[in-house]
Amino acid sequence: MEMSQYDPISKPEFELYTIPSHSSKSPSFPPFLLALLCKRKIFRLLAEKTFSQQNCPGWFRWDDIHERERIALKEFFDGSSISRTPKIYKEYRDFIINKYREEPSRRLTFTQVRKSLVGDVSLLQKVFDFLDQWGLINFSATSGDNNRDSLEDKKLKDQAKIEEGAPNGVRVVATPNSLRSISVPNGGWDGTGKAGAAASETGFKLPPLASYSDVFGDLVKLKGLKCGNCGEQFSSGCYENSKQGNFVICEKCFKNGNYGENKSMDDFTFNDRLGNSCTRGATWTEAETLLLLESVMKHGDNWELVAQHVPRKTKLDCISKLIELPFGEFMTGSAHERNGSSCPPESTDSVKQGPVALSENQEVIKVEDQVQEQMNETEENGDAASEKPPAKKQRTSLLPNAGSSLINQVALISTMAGPHVTAAAAEAAVTALCDESSFPREIFDGDEDYLANGLSMLSESERAHQADASENKENQSESQDGLPNKNEIPLTLRIRAATATALGAAAAKAKLLASQEDREIEHLVATILETQLKKLQSKVKYFEDLEMIMEEEYTEMMELKECLVEERIDVLQRALNAGVSKWRDYTKSLFGSVL
Amino acid sequence: MKLPATSSSKAPIKFRMPTADNLVPIRLDIETEGQRYKDAFTWNPSDPDSEVVVFAKRTVKDLKLPPQFITQIAQSIQSQLTEFRSYEGQDMYTAEKIVPIKLDLRVNHTLIKDQFLWDLNNYESDPEEFARTFCKDMGIEDPEAGPAVAFAIREQLYEIAIQSVASAREIKISNKKGRRGAEHALASKAGGNALDLMKLFRYNSSVVRKRKEWDVYEPIVDILSNEEVDALEAREERNTR
Repeated sequence: MEMSQYDPISKPEFELYTIPSHSSKSPSFPPFLLALLCKRKIFRLLAEKTFSQQNCPGWFRWDDIHERERIALKEFFDGSSISRTPKIYKEYRDFIINKYREEPSRRLTFTQVRKSLVGDVSLLQKVFDFLDQWGLINFSATSGDNNRDSLEDKKLKDQAKIEEGAPNGVRVVATPNSLRSISVPNGGWDGTGKAGAAASETGFKLPPLASYSDVFGDLVKLKGLKCGNCGEQFSSGCYENSKQGNFVICEKCFKNGNYGENKSMDDFTFNDRLGNSCTRGATWTEAETLLLLESVMKHGDNWELVAQHVPRKTKLDCISKLIELPFGEFMTGSAHERNGSSCPPESTDSVKQGPVALSENQEVIKVEDQVQEQMNETEENGDAASEKPPAKKQRTSLLPNAGSSLINQVALISTMAGPHVTAAAAEAAVTALCDESSFPREIFDGDEDYLANGLSMLSESERAHQADASENKENQSESQDGLPNKNEIPLTLRIRAATATALGAAAAKAKLLASQEDREIEHLVATILETQLKKLQSKVKYFEDLEMIMEEEYTEMMELKECLVEERIDVLQRALNAGVSKWRDYTKSLFGSVL
Repeated sequence: MKLPATSSSKAPIKFRMPTADNLVPIRLDIETEGQRYKDAFTWNPSDPDSEVVVFAKRTVKDLKLPPQFITQIAQSIQSQLTEFRSYEGQDMYTAEKIVPIKLDLRVNHTLIKDQFLWDLNNYESDPEEFARTFCKDMGIEDPEAGPAVAFAIREQLYEIAIQSVASAREIKISNKKGRRGAEHALASKAGGNALDLMKLFRYNSSVVRKRKEWDVYEPIVDILSNEEVDALEAREERNTR
């Protein structure tokens, strides 16, 4: 269960990067981009979730069942049973989501849900996991689930120590939890992520988790399969030393009797399987790579399924290929950040990435643009870390960096509001800072205008070249180079002012949005009222019509009645005229009844 | 391992555990020379039988039991496996079958009561996984609770599977006698303790239970004190005698 619950591949964040399948088939779509996207997925899978921005995935509709749901939970749609129909699925789904939304801050568990639903628990769990995977539920739950999971992991480990091997009923799988613990920044992953071949040289250490070595142990062996004796890489069978598990020698050495020091022939067992899969998966055509990436997009880290869609490739082949694919940017980018000693603290970075991602969500940008932007971002990060002005002192080189990312952000925010708003906000911020203490007043008095202008100028340039980060940086450096000339100290103050400005600008933007929303609501309410009125009017008209019809009917009936009476009188008249005396009594009574 | 879900099709299914893994629940309760050994675990029936003795030896060694236990344990496992295999190859049920599973067990200090529905035609169901989720969701700390819950589910499923073999056989017999009898038997026997699906999943009824029923299907987990455990154990002891 943990497997699917934390499977970030299927998290809706990737919705942004999903490419329609036809486009991925077209030759115009560069494979490296696809690789990048896939890698990003994997990267996410490995990395700790920094923030959860997922709301409803775009495909979700309350009144409809999406194709994705049909594929993932096909048992409901094959009409195989009365207990599994689309209607029942929808009822399950809606109930679970509604149940979660009753209290979104709490983590909804499967056990809480199943007591209220009629049906096979395994099936219910599948639905529940599906919804959980897609972040339709538990997207903003903040329970200490991670702690509990890690506790469980620990327990599992302890158990594994006591027992001799995994019990029959328990399947040992690499839970994403264990993956997560791998991604703890120890630098080890960066090395292996970049080039699998280098893994053996850089001294790749397996984390202590048993499940990890179960899954990746083979893989690592596959990569660094070298004869322990002659040092050559080999592709056919090999002999494994049963005493020293990692020590393998090639067939040639074994036949020649070169077993290595202190080893005898009996210690070695023949191992053929690894070699075979190695040779078969050695060559990858471009089409196969594309297929692999496509199926990774589709199936996430379910390697069984992934491998099924790639002809003539095994599960291991697929995994190793994916690891080999070039995507150094993200990994190296993050490595730079960690290694750079004097670069801005990570907090500013994460703050920076937050709003960027948010704004990306707001405006639906094309995939290509986004990747471009992200690349720019990483480049920028790299530059910020490596490109330090050598002439300046340590102190001054440190602060502009912090400021640059901040001002960058301010510029970004201020583009959302207009330049005038930004200027006003900046002014207000400066005044507020001045009110705080008298010291900054002296500083700001001189260059107040300059700062305000600088910010608005910045925002304008941002507006003009939103994607072009380099120019942006020029502007910043201008404003930064210019400012210290006037005063020596006010950098911290400047940052504060910038922060305040950003807040002001954001507030202004929010206000703008709110008023817009208000207007929209008003408009909608008016529309509703109008429609209601129309409805009432038409109803009244309808009733009037009905009344008229009724009246007509009534008159018609009255006429008919009169007609009948007349006829009867006529009949009686004739009878009387005929003078049948016998009928007198009868006619009398008849006459009476008519009257 | 996984079979395609052949639910409504009329082809009868050969006997197996109605779960993803075909694992047999094995229960041991052996008393020799004043020592009592109780255990419950699952066994893969396709494992070679030589494993049984190896397992028994290892268990006795690990638990420091007297060596007489080895043969007893091995015999007990072997006989339960033989029973399971005697059903293999026979037809199980043909129709849809969703059964209620009721849990009422005590694991050390944890008392678990629960009930839920289980689809016998869902060959992707996984009692171990279910138990794991259950323990996590209910915050049960005892590591023995999960396996015990899974085992209890398996035991009941096994029981139902055996019953349905018997009823399937009866249907076959009555099939030879005549059509009418067959239909009757199908209705009464194959239905058995399975739920009336038509009633549960009627088009106009909701699969969401009524609010007042929630309590009935709500799992209950109690943590007992030492005294309560002792009292319960004493009572169990008395009942067995």
